[in-house]
Amino acid sequence: MKTDVLIIGGGPAGIASAISASKTGATVTLVERENRLGGILNQCIHNGFGLHYYGVELTGPEFARRLASTLKTCQNVNVMLQASVTKITKTKLGKFAIQILSPEGLVDITAKSVILAMGCRERPSGAISLGGNRVAGIYSAGSAQAIVNLQGKMIGKKIAILGSGDIGLIMARRLFCEGATIVGVYEINPTSSGLARNITQCLKDFDIPLHLNTSVTRVIGKKRVQGIMVAPVINGIPDHSKEKLVPCDTLLISVGLIPEIELVSHMDLELSPTTNSLAVDENLQTSVKGLFIAGNVLHVNDLVDNVTREGERAGTNAGMYALSSQPHNKSQILLHDDNIRYTVPKYYYPNTPGELTIAFRVTQKLQRVRIIVLDGDNIVYSKPCPAIAPNEIQTITFKKPNIIHNLAIKIIPM
Amino acid sequence: MSNKISNLFEVAIIGGGILGSALFSELSRNGVNCVLLEATDDVSGGSSKANSGIIHAGYDPMPGTLMAKYNVLGSKMYPSMCKRLGVGYKQCGTLVVGGIDDKPKLMQLLQRGRKNGVTGLRIINKRILKKMEPNIADRIHYALYAPTGAIVSPYLVCVALAEEGIINGGTAICDFDVNKICFKNNIYTICGNEKEYRQSVQAKFIVNCAGAGADYINTLAGIPSTPCQYVKGEYILLDKSQGDFVSRPIFPLPSSVGKGVLAIPTLHGNVMFGPTATPTSATDTSVDQVGLDAIKEKVTLSVTPPNFRKTIKLFAGVRTKCGTDFVIQKSDIAKNFYYALGIQSPGLTACPAIAMDLCQKLIKDGVRTNPIIPKKRTPYPDLSSMTDAQKKQLIAKNPDYGKIICRCENISLGEIIDAIHSPLHPTSVDAIKRRIRPSMGRCQGSFCIPKLIDIISHTCNIPKERVTLCGRGSEFITSELKENGVFAKRKNEQSMIEKLKSE
Repeated sequence: MKTDVLIIGGGPAGIASAISASKTGATVTLVERENRLGGILNQCIHNGFGLHYYGVELTGPEFARRLASTLKTCQNVNVMLQASVTKITKTKLGKFAIQILSPEGLVDITAKSVILAMGCRERPSGAISLGGNRVAGIYSAGSAQAIVNLQGKMIGKKIAILGSGDIGLIMARRLFCEGATIVGVYEINPTSSGLARNITQCLKDFDIPLHLNTSVTRVIGKKRVQGIMVAPVINGIPDHSKEKLVPCDTLLISVGLIPEIELVSHMDLELSPTTNSLAVDENLQTSVKGLFIAGNVLHVNDLVDNVTREGERAGTNAGMYALSSQPHNKSQILLHDDNIRYTVPKYYYPNTPGELTIAFRVTQKLQRVRIIVLDGDNIVYSKPCPAIAPNEIQTITFKKPNIIHNLAIKIIPM
Repeated sequence: MSNKISNLFEVAIIGGGILGSALFSELSRNGVNCVLLEATDDVSGGSSKANSGIIHAGYDPMPGTLMAKYNVLGSKMYPSMCKRLGVGYKQCGTLVVGGIDDKPKLMQLLQRGRKNGVTGLRIINKRILKKMEPNIADRIHYALYAPTGAIVSPYLVCVALAEEGIINGGTAICDFDVNKICFKNNIYTICGNEKEYRQSVQAKFIVNCAGAGADYINTLAGIPSTPCQYVKGEYILLDKSQGDFVSRPIFPLPSSVGKGVLAIPTLHGNVMFGPTATPTSATDTSVDQVGLDAIKEKVTLSVTPPNFRKTIKLFAGVRTKCGTDFVIQKSDIAKNFYYALGIQSPGLTACPAIAMDLCQKLIKDGVRTNPIIPKKRTPYPDLSSMTDAQKKQLIAKNPDYGKIICRCENISLGEIIDAIHSPLHPTSVDAIKRRIRPSMGRCQGSFCIPKLIDIISHTCNIPKERVTLCGRGSEFITSELKENGVFAKRKNEQSMIEKLKSE
């Protein structure tokens, strides 16, 4: 079977890229492992999605349904549901060979370009040295969300949450509304990693205590959680002498997301250690020509609106690549100062005109600053920013000027 | 004449770990009417599921001990046994590594091994060692290479043996926590559990293979308690991306405490580090920051520092130590009662050989046998080990094999249902996990456990509230939604207010 663009993952990034890829005139195959599109949005029944993209606040499933309806109107798109990509390799002719397993059997597809849109997985409890026994009642926050929102079942009565990531905050509110007691959210750092609006709307509004600088050191219980030991964190190390028992019957773990790039880990790809994913150029293309990537699998996002727009860009670029892969001019590394932890993309094309979108995260909270992009000493973009924080991705888009030296993005005082 | 389930068994085996399961299979294949009683919800539920999975070559135990005898015998039995059972066995060899001054100590081990009857042992130097294992620590100059060392999946071997026993007419009962043993008219009545779960079986002979619980079981039969030490071993398991960190188990030089902290590749492509040796109680399998820190420190004696940021799981098992050797006896207090105590390392390796000897002893002592043609166990269909043509065929027969449930390990719905329908009828997530690995991958079940709860509920026809992680007491679901929600409370409040108004 042949296709121009093959997209792995039918969440918002995948659907958006399928829509825009089909608009280029390319044939598109979208592969999704569940038996419906939507990805993680299907279990995010809270609202807060689409304010920027659709101009209206939607729940996760509503956002997914809108995108999926638009996809239905597109020509030349083949959607494969309940299908898993088991193998992907680059052929000698520069195309991609993809093997797909589904109830229909095993299918081999050749594609001219591929878009990775597989999203993330949650960091497991084993990765954070959580002591104690391995008992029932310990869930990653997203896992608990799936059971509660997709199966309509309750997972506990007295719930503690380890980590102040957004998923944990959302679940704190969700479980509270289902009648559980939330004993507290325990965050090892001095600040929360979740969005400010979630701290307000999920914790403060419901009087759920947030304990910063606090570590959950071990789980107590024989077959089910009966309590957790918590300890204050001093200079990054838990003070075990001040350990306290907090009785509870459930522990949710929300300690970060990891991009699911394992499917291509055998390929010779340039990694990006700061995003735990792959390095890309301004077209969202990886170091393997024709292999594009968008959404949470590229870098962990906060807003689905940005994920969707990113997917659109990847789709357009992957479609254009498939129809007429032009050799690109030389790329350059986008420089940044120490205020910025990472930029997506890492590379840009100074000699190709067009728009450049840069997504980035800062390393610390900053106030009254200005985001500037320099070409050598010339400022080619400038935007004032009253406040900027590491837990919110910033995105800027501007028309590329005639670049003489090197582009660099910096944060300076206003 | 086949072995039908009857009210009176010839032999009751207490403890469904690797020894009990091996004996169960051995007896059943000799046509002995036997019952395997396991306290947890699944065989291997004790220490047999939480160990290094290494089939030791046999240079470590002291010559003349039962450990030495059964280690070497067992090591020779494993390849054909695993083939017969249809489970994995990888003879990768093992290495004991030492620094520049350690050659004499390694030679000592080599001589000991030769005395025990181990073949192929040799000392290798740094140059060759570095080629074999690039991640060996810089301080390492010599190693004892034992080519007969191997790795297996210990819980899968245990499950397969138990299934083989069932297929050949044996009866296995899990969730049977023995708490009383009576002897009358040459018949044992063994009682388990309490209240509505109380059960009892009757047998003429008992073999106590209850691991960390064996001493307690002895006391139930009137045998005085034997002093045992319970020593916990903690492990750190890393993601498959680190799987090629070592190609074979790497040991430091052994000490009086034990074999030390190892670097161990697993059969399925992970790498793990451990165990510690922390004295504890018979039932303590918790992991501890102290233990984890000890592993991270000690492992650097043998290998370069691993990337512990890729840790996906921590676990622990308890070894029972009874002096310095295995204690395998026929009781002279309780009639027709046999017990095995202190089956610590090299227990996994030794068990098939111990089981064979025990079986022969039991038959000699009067256990009735029926000559039968032993039946072979059918291994579970394993999608990941099939060719493309085989996969296509399987999916064409049953589309459930094309529905991937565990995305990290690529395990299909069909395989999960097969595991549920396997001879022991497991219903807990952990029991199914030990058979075909869902939730053992990099996401550790965060994607597939919700689906497993749904699948188990539908396939076993039980309400979701009764699906467990590892047996009774470890249920996932506590209630339906909306039973206690704020809106339910408000509704109650409303009706209360109306009631008060009308009064």
